[in-house]
Amino acid sequence: MNRRQLIQQMCGGLGSVGLAAMLEQHAQAAVGGHYTGPLMPGKAKKVIFLFLAGGPSQVDMFDNKPLLFKFQGQRPGTVDLRTERQTGGLLPSPFKFQKYGKSGIELSELLPQMGTIIDDVCVIKSMYTFNPTHTPARSLIHSGSILATRPSLGAWISYGLGTENENLPAFVALSPGGNGGGSLLRSGFLPAEYQGTPFSDSEVEPEKMIANLRNKWLDKEAQRHQLDAIQALNKEFSAGFGADDFLEGRIQSMEAAYRMQFEAMDVFDIRKESDAIRAEYGATPFGNGCLLARRLVEKGVRYVHVYHNAGQDWDDHKDIEKNLRGRCPDMDKAAAALIRDLKRRGLLDETLVVWGGEFGRTPVSESGTGRDHNPYGFTMWMAGGGVKGGLAYGNTDEFGFKAVENRVSIHDLHATILHQIGIDHTKLTYRYAGRDFRLTDVFGEVVKDILI
Amino acid sequence: MRRILLFPIAIALQAQSPDPAFFESKIRPVLAASCYGCHSSKMKSPMGGLVLDTKAGLRNGGATGPAIVPGKPAESRLLTALRYTDPHVQMPPSGKLAQPVIDNFETWIAAGAIDPRIDTVAATASGPLKGMSVEDGRKWWAFQPVKELPAPAVKDSAWLRRKIDAFLLARLEQKNLTPSPRADKRTLVQRLYIDLLGLRPTYDEIESFVSDTSPGAYAKLVDRLLGSKHYGEAWGRHWLDVARYAEDNPTSEATNPPYPYAWRYRDWVIEALNNDVPYDRFIKLQLAADKLPDTRREDLRALGYLGAAPVYHKDQRLSYDVIFTFLSDDWDERVDAVTRGLLGLTVACARCHDHKFDPIPTKDYYGLASVFASTMRSERPTFDVDPQIELRFQWAQRRLFDLAYSRNLLTGEASTVVGSEERVARWKQEIATLQTEIEAWRERYPILVQTLEKYWREPQKQARQAVNARRRPGASEDPFMNTVYDAAQYVDGSDANYTWLTYKPGEPRDLPVFLRGNVAIPGDPAPRRFLSVLSNGDGKLTNGSGRLELAEKIFKDAAPLTARVIVNRVWAWHFGKPIAGTPSDFGTQGDKPTHPELLDDLAARFIANGWSLKWLHREILLSAAWQQASNRRSEGDRADQINSLLWRQNPRRLDIESYRDSILRIAGTLNENVYGVSQDLDAEANTRRTIYGRVGRGRLNGLLKLYDFPEATQTAPARDLTTTPLQQLFVMNGAFIRGQANVVAKAVETEPDNNARLRALYRRILARDPSPKELDLGLTYLAQGKLEEYAHILLSTNEVLFQK
Repeated sequence: MNRRQLIQQMCGGLGSVGLAAMLEQHAQAAVGGHYTGPLMPGKAKKVIFLFLAGGPSQVDMFDNKPLLFKFQGQRPGTVDLRTERQTGGLLPSPFKFQKYGKSGIELSELLPQMGTIIDDVCVIKSMYTFNPTHTPARSLIHSGSILATRPSLGAWISYGLGTENENLPAFVALSPGGNGGGSLLRSGFLPAEYQGTPFSDSEVEPEKMIANLRNKWLDKEAQRHQLDAIQALNKEFSAGFGADDFLEGRIQSMEAAYRMQFEAMDVFDIRKESDAIRAEYGATPFGNGCLLARRLVEKGVRYVHVYHNAGQDWDDHKDIEKNLRGRCPDMDKAAAALIRDLKRRGLLDETLVVWGGEFGRTPVSESGTGRDHNPYGFTMWMAGGGVKGGLAYGNTDEFGFKAVENRVSIHDLHATILHQIGIDHTKLTYRYAGRDFRLTDVFGEVVKDILI
Repeated sequence: MRRILLFPIAIALQAQSPDPAFFESKIRPVLAASCYGCHSSKMKSPMGGLVLDTKAGLRNGGATGPAIVPGKPAESRLLTALRYTDPHVQMPPSGKLAQPVIDNFETWIAAGAIDPRIDTVAATASGPLKGMSVEDGRKWWAFQPVKELPAPAVKDSAWLRRKIDAFLLARLEQKNLTPSPRADKRTLVQRLYIDLLGLRPTYDEIESFVSDTSPGAYAKLVDRLLGSKHYGEAWGRHWLDVARYAEDNPTSEATNPPYPYAWRYRDWVIEALNNDVPYDRFIKLQLAADKLPDTRREDLRALGYLGAAPVYHKDQRLSYDVIFTFLSDDWDERVDAVTRGLLGLTVACARCHDHKFDPIPTKDYYGLASVFASTMRSERPTFDVDPQIELRFQWAQRRLFDLAYSRNLLTGEASTVVGSEERVARWKQEIATLQTEIEAWRERYPILVQTLEKYWREPQKQARQAVNARRRPGASEDPFMNTVYDAAQYVDGSDANYTWLTYKPGEPRDLPVFLRGNVAIPGDPAPRRFLSVLSNGDGKLTNGSGRLELAEKIFKDAAPLTARVIVNRVWAWHFGKPIAGTPSDFGTQGDKPTHPELLDDLAARFIANGWSLKWLHREILLSAAWQQASNRRSEGDRADQINSLLWRQNPRRLDIESYRDSILRIAGTLNENVYGVSQDLDAEANTRRTIYGRVGRGRLNGLLKLYDFPEATQTAPARDLTTTPLQQLFVMNGAFIRGQANVVAKAVETEPDNNARLRALYRRILARDPSPKELDLGLTYLAQGKLEEYAHILLSTNEVLFQK
């Protein structure tokens, strides 16, 4: 182990930055990154991933397929794909579609707010993945693999680029209840410091969101006094023992923690936003989460993952019309507000926003009123971060079942996200158990057509 | 009749007259128009690694194997893809080609796939990277026999205490470095307690050692601590990192529920280490306790090593290929855990191709995977049962679960599989038949029947609850163990809408090599075997699953490597740094040992001393090297800053177990009972040692996660200890430390004055008296601050978390 690795190991993670930089004696804008490959031209610095677990239905939101009416209830040969559960005939979307913006991209009536910002959005209609079951498919979209040992996208990114703010985690995951689930947060074989830090966005008070953030016994001044007493003893101990990286690192880390309490109390508190902004996002967990995501990337957090609702809420095996009418408004409102707000603040160019679920849903019905899981073809969208706005990319077949034109796999998606934050996905590697691992394994092509 | 015959004849004729023009006119234009877009040698990473614009690319294929087999259309993946018959491989993705075009491809392949293209050198030169051959591998240092070596000559022979010191000192002297002086007695006793027990000693324990001036006092203390029941708790935890011990699965869904009895495996590990079960037997029991003669029933708990291993959820509505892939991922984990954990070899690299660096062909990988394809996890009773009934019980528990799960799946409202009723009726019938058979055991073994009757109990709602209950985490004290037994695992894809897993008790299963790791492309047979490069003889494993022979070969054929690997791990747990820097990789990509002769000599003597870990501990702990002071010295820093030559002992940061347990012990709240069912670490009332806390693969306890506990989805080579602000928030603001601080403060508040209270706090928390300056600092604080705050301050200092 060389000195640099030693320092990183001793004081890695949050707050390591100040110390590592101090010891290395050269400060950088972002510190702690391990990516050594060529810098890709992508301009994004941060990523916000809006995640709709369960599998949102593309044919009811983005992928208008009028032929579903013509062949309603039928099962033409091309839709005879094996699904997780048995499915019936084609089920037309009950929602009306219309064109929005200068680009004229079609959206269903479920997404009126998305319509107002659609010219900043690239809708990818030709996504596909490799597994029709929730957990493995989620693991695939989060980590590129169904295996439980692989690091997630956020972990790779924070490993690759380090953090920009010593007082906040580089990789944050927001969800109601604060548990995004295993594969999302996973650091896998990467050092534990790169794992995602989960927070609950069903709370708005920072001290309820972050464990141990507030000292319940002492005010700021008394706490400083207590910390001074600890540090005085720590310095006595160091003086007796001699120089040691761990002893010094922990002294610095305690100072960072002390500062973090107040910085996080500030950054995590969306109540500091104006009423108008809060109303624009909506006072729902997802609205709060999107707003908080913006505040976090503003302060240098590298990767923020925002779950819409708890569990796998978008898993509409039945009653899809009723469910989507209930579930879409707050999602639509908050997602659109995020794009609008980032743009107003001049942050959209350096922030890549990605939207989607682990797969889509079938155009054929399940149990008459629902749709089954569909890994063959589904819709995701991206905005900002050097991605073309007002573009509808790729296509599914005539019924919206399978991606057929300009197909984009989840590995391609990962390659593209990495490319936009300056990383060549074939060069971000980690040597483990005898070989170099990549987020994209041996797959993945950057989708150049959608880039500015 | 005639029309039917025409087609084969046409193909036969084509085959007799291969014509390059056919390729140029019918095949190449289609490849260029429909395929090169994604499959071109000009691309940096062509889709699926498949290149179709070169002759070699077409022949060799991509990630899923050869694209064509000349003369055999039916075996040519290219044709399957063009035909759109396999839902997973349909090419080109933009739509199926016209049928006559596809027919041309068939004709061309049947005729031998004449491809007149001449590849440029650039297109063919990049052959696959080849690893070391098995023959060359036999010369690799880590596989050579170990033998005791003469201690090297040194100048300062007065420093030597044990043989290992000579090897270390010789290297230091070469570098003109001197070792550090012996640490003071106070440091040594603390270091020993933390190293061997994972607990800080009390003031009295320290003083009693410091005041013992008898010549053998140190060795006596080593022996006493090695004999403590808490030794197994500290060292068992080290092993559990390697064994990726946990009590549930990464997802813990219906078909891969938590392991409620895994804690019995953990207890077995603690007990075995306390009893100094020799390392070879320790491992043999974990791999094959059920097949070893003269095994106590309690030792079957050892099988939790395999029986509580991570497995993936298998939704039976998924296709044969998908389920088979999940299953092969399960086997892969076992291969990885055993080879990296026990042999320090990255055999799992050879799943998709021959190992690119080490002498491990894919046949060896699948030979080992076959052992685990022949081994099924099961729950066994802790009490003795008629062997035939026990075997049947192990099979029936899984079969009944699958039947009940499937019945529920296809009876619920979500069920739309065509012909569900008919299937469900058949499965109910099978459940009923099994019920009749199993009810006959009730008189002799009521508990066995009670664990199974939930699957046939009516109304069905209860049965469904029983199936769902398996998914809930939580340890159980019912008399069972998570184990394995010999049973071949198969995937039954005969029902296109519903995939079954079947288990054949007592039967082995030999897998073929799966090309590129893809279960859809079987290659040559790969019968159960041990690694070729390590085998004396043919390496075949023939007795049942082969687990016992595997365990025996690990300690016979591979004994030198196995001994090096465990000696290196134990060394790292004592010194904070291994001799060979990558404890789970002794292959060509791993770090070479800094002191190869030391490692070899120690490994040889470890074997000669009956693989006794306590012998190894003594050898290390009694050395002068281990007893050195850990302070830095400028000449050492200049010559060897990272201390690879051990010119000082490495100071250590306590791991989370030692840290939490020591704080509880300081407060006097630690429950020192050994063994028992797991508890939630976050429960306020839980004052047991951390090793008894529940360990999850799906969701790891927050405290463990905060302090770098390894993810138990795979074997962990070592812990990466980090220092982060979130840890400091836990220390400064968390309820745990504050709560313990209150307890300590309460215990000393009756002292007459602040001076005495401070002295008492120091003795309890830091196990020493304060210096005048420290006393002064404390008195100044207490002039305004509270006693429990100062207890909290002392508990938060580096001194508690750090050991000289």
